[in-house]
Amino acid sequence: MALTDKPGWQELRKHAAANGKLHLSELLADDDKRHKTFSLRQGNLLFDFSKQRVNRKTIELLCRLARECDLKSSIDKLFSGDAVNSSENRPALHTALRSPKDSKLSLNGINIVDGIQETLERMEQIVERIHSGQWRGFSGMPIDTIVNIGVGGSDLGPYMAAKALSDDRAAGARRLRMFFVSTMDGSQIAYRLDSLNPATTLFIISSKSFTTIDTLSNANTALQWLRQASGAEDEVLYRRHFIGISADADRMAAWGIPPNSRLELWDWIGGRYSMWSAIGLPIALEIGMHQFRRMLAGAHAMDRHFRSERFEKNLPVILAMIGIWNINFLDIRAHAILPYDGRLSHLPSYLEQLEMESNGKNVTRDGEAIDYNTCPILWGEIGPNAQHAFYQLLHQGTESVMCDFVVAARRYQDSGNAELQEQHRLTLANCLAQSRILALGDSVIGGDEKAPFFKRYRSNQPSSTILLDQLTPYSFGQLIALYEHKVFTQSVIWNINPFDQWGVELGKQMATTLIEPLTQQQDVGQFDPSTNGLLEWILKQQERDS
Amino acid sequence: MKIAIWGSELTAWATAGALARTGNDIYFVSHSQIKDPITLMGSSIRNEPWLRDLIGDEFEQRRMRFAQTRTAIGIQTHILSMNPSEFEAACDIVRKIAAKAEGPLLIINQSHFGVGASDKLQALLNRRKKQIVVYFAENISEGEALDRIRNPKSMIIGCDDKAAKLTIEALFRPFSTQLENLFVMSPKEAEFTKLSIIGMLALRIGYINELANLGEQLGVDIDVIRRGMGADPRIGRHHLAPGCGFGGNTFPQTLDSLAQLLSEQNESTLMRTVLLENEKQKELPFRKLWQHYKADLHDRKIAVWGASFKPGSASLDSAPSLKVIDAIVAQQAEVRIHDPEALENVHHLYHDNPYVKIISGKYDALKNVDALVLLTEWPEYWSPDFELMLKQMKTPVIVDGRNVYQREQIESLGFAYYGIGR
Repeated sequence: MALTDKPGWQELRKHAAANGKLHLSELLADDDKRHKTFSLRQGNLLFDFSKQRVNRKTIELLCRLARECDLKSSIDKLFSGDAVNSSENRPALHTALRSPKDSKLSLNGINIVDGIQETLERMEQIVERIHSGQWRGFSGMPIDTIVNIGVGGSDLGPYMAAKALSDDRAAGARRLRMFFVSTMDGSQIAYRLDSLNPATTLFIISSKSFTTIDTLSNANTALQWLRQASGAEDEVLYRRHFIGISADADRMAAWGIPPNSRLELWDWIGGRYSMWSAIGLPIALEIGMHQFRRMLAGAHAMDRHFRSERFEKNLPVILAMIGIWNINFLDIRAHAILPYDGRLSHLPSYLEQLEMESNGKNVTRDGEAIDYNTCPILWGEIGPNAQHAFYQLLHQGTESVMCDFVVAARRYQDSGNAELQEQHRLTLANCLAQSRILALGDSVIGGDEKAPFFKRYRSNQPSSTILLDQLTPYSFGQLIALYEHKVFTQSVIWNINPFDQWGVELGKQMATTLIEPLTQQQDVGQFDPSTNGLLEWILKQQERDS
Repeated sequence: MKIAIWGSELTAWATAGALARTGNDIYFVSHSQIKDPITLMGSSIRNEPWLRDLIGDEFEQRRMRFAQTRTAIGIQTHILSMNPSEFEAACDIVRKIAAKAEGPLLIINQSHFGVGASDKLQALLNRRKKQIVVYFAENISEGEALDRIRNPKSMIIGCDDKAAKLTIEALFRPFSTQLENLFVMSPKEAEFTKLSIIGMLALRIGYINELANLGEQLGVDIDVIRRGMGADPRIGRHHLAPGCGFGGNTFPQTLDSLAQLLSEQNESTLMRTVLLENEKQKELPFRKLWQHYKADLHDRKIAVWGASFKPGSASLDSAPSLKVIDAIVAQQAEVRIHDPEALENVHHLYHDNPYVKIISGKYDALKNVDALVLLTEWPEYWSPDFELMLKQMKTPVIVDGRNVYQREQIESLGFAYYGIGR
């Protein structure tokens, strides 16, 4: 049965027609216990959705729809290693990456947990060697600089996490500098290499396929830089200045990385779900393996919750279904991610990839065209900074936007620094103030009906608040797993495959066909008139150099 | 004179022994269960030349004895020979002495507590009752401690009280036969002078090491350069031997406090840089080995000659050997260590490391090794049986961290040779 024909969907339609215009000011005015009713906890993580435009009936109907979509059995398939990535016929087992040491998960007759644990132990050896100053470069000096070369999932996750958890920096990491290089055009790496010492720099080359042109072109630039600076044999440079992380050992070998410097990935890990694997090496280098394992434990706690908790009390399910409500029944097409914590500055771009690359699809798993909305436009920024940028649109624009506020209740409590503690209070106050105004508009300050039109706030923008106790590796693991499962849940409802990304392939092919006319300065004219025109203009500009 | 001595370091023992020998009654403060002075000294102090016999003798002659704090605080003259990190403890002692004393006191501070420390101690006393703190800049160096006390060429005394100055001059008169210079200044100036001397020595070593490393890249022999430099009377020859870094206990600690003072008061990074470069220099022999074996030491066997931070001492404090040993074993290579005196201390640190072998014969240490790394210039290493060495070693590679060998000679015998700066 098509999604839109399901009874639950139809009921939600009717419910939306009758209640969709409900105003948050009424919902919040009518019910003292609204926060209690519309919030959930998993461990110390609190998810408050009392500022969403829902009532009890809405939640009941959303859970009903989830049941009609067989969400439970889809979750079981995800965890047990079914080929949930149907277009590529493979499982998506990021949850196995964080399952405990003694657990078992058989895939093609092999317990994959053994391989996962083995890789974690190899990561641990590498981290310890680097932290103790005993990973040595070609000259014998200890490595003190790490450059992670990767793009997409091999960049966004480690980058975001290393930044988010920098308060938990391991003692051995204090002597390290860490940089992330991703852009194809070489501008990041060229700028970076200028200020680095080749004798003490180690490059992590992260690419699941080890074919990613962006990454390999940066890696080649790094290799060339080392060759020129060191005069050392290539074999020494490969062994001491590169760590390869990939699912394709042969390609790593062909590029030059010796076995001891390779870390394994598996094809059943999607790039944007891979920071829990060896791809997370930069995170482990920042916080140490003990804390890296705490991050895995936090995610695992969310996994267990997602798998076993009934839908009405299930955080990822409710977070997802509220999204379904907003997108499909309230017709909201924009989603803002607003962390009130500078450490989470890269969470928005991470979630942009996680959500939009996973669920930005317009056909079902069966290849049917979809006639309902799927993933909305998602963007974000550190909340207090965004207050000075796009909050204007949230408060007084014409677009309905759903917002996720993410903030930690406690910070700096042990710092002994009263100024920083005051800054945290200020941040919390701003976070609470903004979600309140989004919901209630100017009525919160007495509803000055006589105020001029340009000072009025239209309100009724729905938002959720995800409140961590503190931002720690554990709670961070919970938070990211929460969003991963939310994305999966929505994909089940929309009947799409969240684990492929065919939409990014054609561009790579097309780029290949455009290299030739750019290099050989011929064959211009074979493309569309717009592209032909642009090509001609570029070539004309470049003639000046020749 | 009745003197109480506070502290348990080499300076305390050597001062106590020397002053007992010249007829003073020494009360050496100790609350240890160990009543045998030789055991209590610990191995590194015990191995200080002549000291063990001197102390044993003085205890026998009863010119030296142990005392508890309650007895010692009743004495009029005190010497503080404590570790630079024990300033708080020193304040406590002075407070206790002050609380008990009715009349005059003389407290001779010869610990490196930093500039102004003696004045802080003085503030705990009553100057009107002639209770005086004097700073005495000790000049002790491990391996030559007694000689430095008994035959100093110069003395620096920080004292602004006439009577105290006379007492201290009398106390040290037996040691003044070779004395060329005696300087009396304020305690603060004396402390600063002492600190400045140590800093200057470190700068010279740091500078010659920098030059050595540069010379290596430019293909010049630092030995030639330093002889030329040393001939200039403005420079002189001392402390111009390049090597794999300096270690020890009080020397680096004192430099560290100078570096801190400079950076806090003046935002100067000069001394901090010297210290950081010295830490890098300690690993230089490892880097030479590493480069010789093309960045792969896995499963190799490496002999180390000399582990103590300098010849004549068993101490491993801040010794370059520790850095080199750690670096080698981290590559899962075996390290075979010989040292004439420090092996007990090496055992203490590394006994549970399977990659570390402690070898009592210097040629045995070379058995089947891929290289020899020389880190401490003990006299017995200067002229070894090279033929026997060639027989013992699997691969004849020598990394000479102290430039004790002649390159031409070593190479003509068939060794691959790496020195510092040549």
